[in-house]
Amino acid sequence: MTYRHARWLLAVLVPLALLTSACGDDDDGDAATGGGGACAEVSAPDDAPAITIGAQDFGESAILAEIYRQCLVAAGFDVTIQAVGGFRDLELAAFESGDINLAPEYAASMLEALNGQAGEATPDAVETTELLNGYLADIGLVALTPSDAVDTNALVVTEATSEELGITAISDLADHTDLVLGAPADCETNAFCLPGLQSVYDIDLSAGFIALEPAAVVPALDEEEIDIALLFSTDSRIVSNNYVLLDDDEGMLAADNVLPVLTTELAGVEGLAGLLDAISESLTTDGLTELNRRFDVDVEDADDIAASHLESAGLL
Amino acid sequence: MRDRPWIEWDWVGDHLDDIRAATFEHLRLTLLAVAIGFVLAGVLSAVGLRWRRTLGPITWVTGVIYTIPSLALFTLLIPIFGLGSIWSAEVALVGYTLLILIRNIVAGVDGVDPAVRAAADGMGYGRWRRLLEVELPLAVPAIIAGLRIAAVTTVGLVTVTGLIGLGGYGSFIDAGLKRQFPTQIVLGGGLSVIMATVIDLTLVGIERVLTPWNRGEVARP
Amino acid sequence: MSAWTEFVDYVTLADNWWGRRGIAVRIEDHVRISAFATVVAAAIAIPPALWLGHVRRGGAIAGAVVNIGRAVPSFAIVALALPISLRYGFGLGFWPTVVALVALGLPPIFTNAYAGVSGIDPAVVDAARGMGMRGPEVLWRVEVPNALPLLLAGLRISAVQIVATATLGAYVGFGGLGAFINEGFRQQDDGKLLTGAVLVAVLAIATEFLFGVGQRLLTPWTIRKGHS
Repeated sequence: MTYRHARWLLAVLVPLALLTSACGDDDDGDAATGGGGACAEVSAPDDAPAITIGAQDFGESAILAEIYRQCLVAAGFDVTIQAVGGFRDLELAAFESGDINLAPEYAASMLEALNGQAGEATPDAVETTELLNGYLADIGLVALTPSDAVDTNALVVTEATSEELGITAISDLADHTDLVLGAPADCETNAFCLPGLQSVYDIDLSAGFIALEPAAVVPALDEEEIDIALLFSTDSRIVSNNYVLLDDDEGMLAADNVLPVLTTELAGVEGLAGLLDAISESLTTDGLTELNRRFDVDVEDADDIAASHLESAGLL
Repeated sequence: MRDRPWIEWDWVGDHLDDIRAATFEHLRLTLLAVAIGFVLAGVLSAVGLRWRRTLGPITWVTGVIYTIPSLALFTLLIPIFGLGSIWSAEVALVGYTLLILIRNIVAGVDGVDPAVRAAADGMGYGRWRRLLEVELPLAVPAIIAGLRIAAVTTVGLVTVTGLIGLGGYGSFIDAGLKRQFPTQIVLGGGLSVIMATVIDLTLVGIERVLTPWNRGEVARP
Repeated sequence: MSAWTEFVDYVTLADNWWGRRGIAVRIEDHVRISAFATVVAAAIAIPPALWLGHVRRGGAIAGAVVNIGRAVPSFAIVALALPISLRYGFGLGFWPTVVALVALGLPPIFTNAYAGVSGIDPAVVDAARGMGMRGPEVLWRVEVPNALPLLLAGLRISAVQIVATATLGAYVGFGGLGAFINEGFRQQDDGKLLTGAVLVAVLAIATEFLFGVGQRLLTPWTIRKGHS
């Protein structure tokens, strides 16, 4: 009797586990397969390697990854998207291990991440990309032509704070170093955050700094728990919440243009670089902000947003 | 998240496919962890019961694993098993179940009335036969209690894997957090609770079936 | 430089211990919030558990509900608690984290307190009544002392889980040891990361140990082979 029962227990649990592992999730392929656009005019070579795009876990990265994916799929490539969490070093590790071979990136930030925050990036996109490629070559990667879309760090204050203290530019903070800055924890070591404020503006905000996960920054600003928030310049809430984007009057921020980073192997595949360049050309800062708005405010899905962008750009 | 309702049902309706996929993924991660954990705990418990002195170290090691913050452990495992591999999560999840399961299996077997053990010995049962045919069945309530806690805790922990890019309900919570969209957070959390409830009740049902001699008494929590 | 070397370097540097965001302050904050949350969870869970256990009613349902609470992800609670906390002036950091930690600590305390009281041999309760004790007396003089081992075990489990999970506070601006883990991730600083993780583990183990000692002191009769 007991043998039967004990085996029955195992017989229930184990197959159930195996069964559900057999039921994989359906693949995420509901890309628009509407009439041919520029992407479909390119034909992937037969021996093209499979492409895995690394997407970081914020909306803009997911949207960009989808844009790349849908265009490349239309061209006949075999493409999947792999989530790489929220940290650039996970993405770099994924490149190294071969888990991914393409990712949307930001020229200046990636450069600074690779050179240990040495401060080499400049406001010039081409120059920054060249410097970046110098470092990427060492790890078997290459960055293609940067787009015009820039997503850089943005220091914002509420309208009320701006009016009350007369702050419209970063240099205005020099008289108000008692203000509280809220930002993700890497602000302490990021060349475009606290260290940059110190070295370029000679402003030290570290005394009141509060480390907050990105999701908590906006509520904290709205409820006046922090005075200054670090957001990204393509965050649609800057406009919709009437924040004042502090002007970078002394040029701390550099060229964080969106560009594709891929393995040198992939870069050599015929037609691929051309497609990615075409995508880069279709991106603008305002356009990206609008895509973000649809994601954050209208709560649309990344793949739908990507599809409509590609369609309106004539690529899909 | 100001001024957004807790749940926007049309969003839910539009994303039933995603919900189904997330459910399968979450269930798979949970059941795999509990099944492997159960087998491993069974082995370790048997070892601990047979050679009492090993029980201390076994409890100590599994206890230490339990105190490591889950997100930290997942992230430490990624370089070993790779991103997107379920083993980065599973190794940790299995580790977290061990303490509870071993504790309960051992307590359950230890809690068997010595008189019953003596009777079994008197009837000529060998050590292993006594364990399998007498002690384990009587220990079933304690073992199932341990399984319930382990399973329910695992359902909760699997949501954390959403932060390292795995599926399951945690991906909803993570996405909802990023966009300040309560529906996804509430959905992720709520579905976790429902899944935990279903698994919990299933285990209670299994306990009833396996212990016919306990029916008719006041149900214990 | 391996991660462990960085950890040792970080932890042994005196500068890292003092100051607003040093190790000492963060350990203190971590202990403070954990202790507070444990006490609050106990205050909420124990009275109803004792009562329900005493009258031996509703336990199955209450227990199941509380058990399910275990499955609600703590970080989701923190995320949802944050805007509410902000809106009603409770601010960042401490209060949203406390809400999540109390929710986490409730189930083990409740389940164990209930099981402890309701699981007492009915013969013992009968004997007490036979001696003339009435309801509340039976509860306080017989049931609670008998339930003490399980109750303390429940408190111990909760306290350890709370200590390990208080790291969540870092996401919403609370310091504590979680801040080292969070900063370590974001700044790619393995020294900080391990400092946070190791110190949390040490704190959790210390909590486990302290409660073990407490159990021995308060319920010496449970010290025999086979008891955890």
